[in-house]
Amino acid sequence: MSETTREPDARQLATEARDRVRFEEEALALSDQVYRVARHLVGSREEAEDLMQETYARAFRSWRSFQPGTNLRAWLLRILTNLNIDRGRKIQRTPDLQPLEEGDYFLYNKLEATGDGGSDEDRVVERLSQNDVVGALSEVPHDFRDVVVLVDIGDFTYADAAQILDIPIGTVMSRLHRGRRILKQAMAESAVGGDGE
Amino acid sequence: MTAYDPCAHCEEMMQPYMDRVLTDTERAEAETHLDDCTYCRKRYRFEEKLRQFVRNAVQEPMTVELKTKLAGLRTPLQ
Repeated sequence: MSETTREPDARQLATEARDRVRFEEEALALSDQVYRVARHLVGSREEAEDLMQETYARAFRSWRSFQPGTNLRAWLLRILTNLNIDRGRKIQRTPDLQPLEEGDYFLYNKLEATGDGGSDEDRVVERLSQNDVVGALSEVPHDFRDVVVLVDIGDFTYADAAQILDIPIGTVMSRLHRGRRILKQAMAESAVGGDGE
Repeated sequence: MTAYDPCAHCEEMMQPYMDRVLTDTERAEAETHLDDCTYCRKRYRFEEKLRQFVRNAVQEPMTVELKTKLAGLRTPLQ
């Protein structure tokens, strides 16, 4: 085993090329799911599209650092969230004075109180529009929104979200808890507090 | 003033309940309360529907152009 060749032979090159192609295909197959998260980590579709392209360009360049058998979707999102922070997102700091959010029943209570008297859960949900949700999500401060988007929209586990964002799992849980409440409060304001229909 | 309010407690338990991270004891405690309390039960059911509604509402598929651009980033075959 003392013989080590410095120049990779043709077979090694072929193997590497095959692995790379497979990696690229797998990463591309996940792009819809990655975009689903990316779209709501940033404010606009244009930003999300730029971020996706930067992410995939970087992923394809550094594909060797991906450990086969680990979660490729989480790996891609880790690149994406880092790039998003590099793009200057950190400048937009979370306000020191965070809203004292309402409890988890707040949204239902608001919608029920202002509707036509019905309290059936299906009917109450129908008082929300798609715009209420999308608008409200964009109002949630970044730190909280990242976690809500990863877990509730991206279906990542707490542990994956912690790894992607490089924060402790306890922080994921507390931000998720508060982030969801902030989101519900924003939806209530959008659906009820604004100009209604 | 500081009396234990089971509905307020149930409200606190809602997210961990839905996320299935409660201990068996906590879960049983929440379910016992939910069996007897229409007020909380309605709000739990609403939360389930809300989560689904939110997931659907934020769907915005990638454009074909973006897909093509991403595919174009692949390393050219030699």
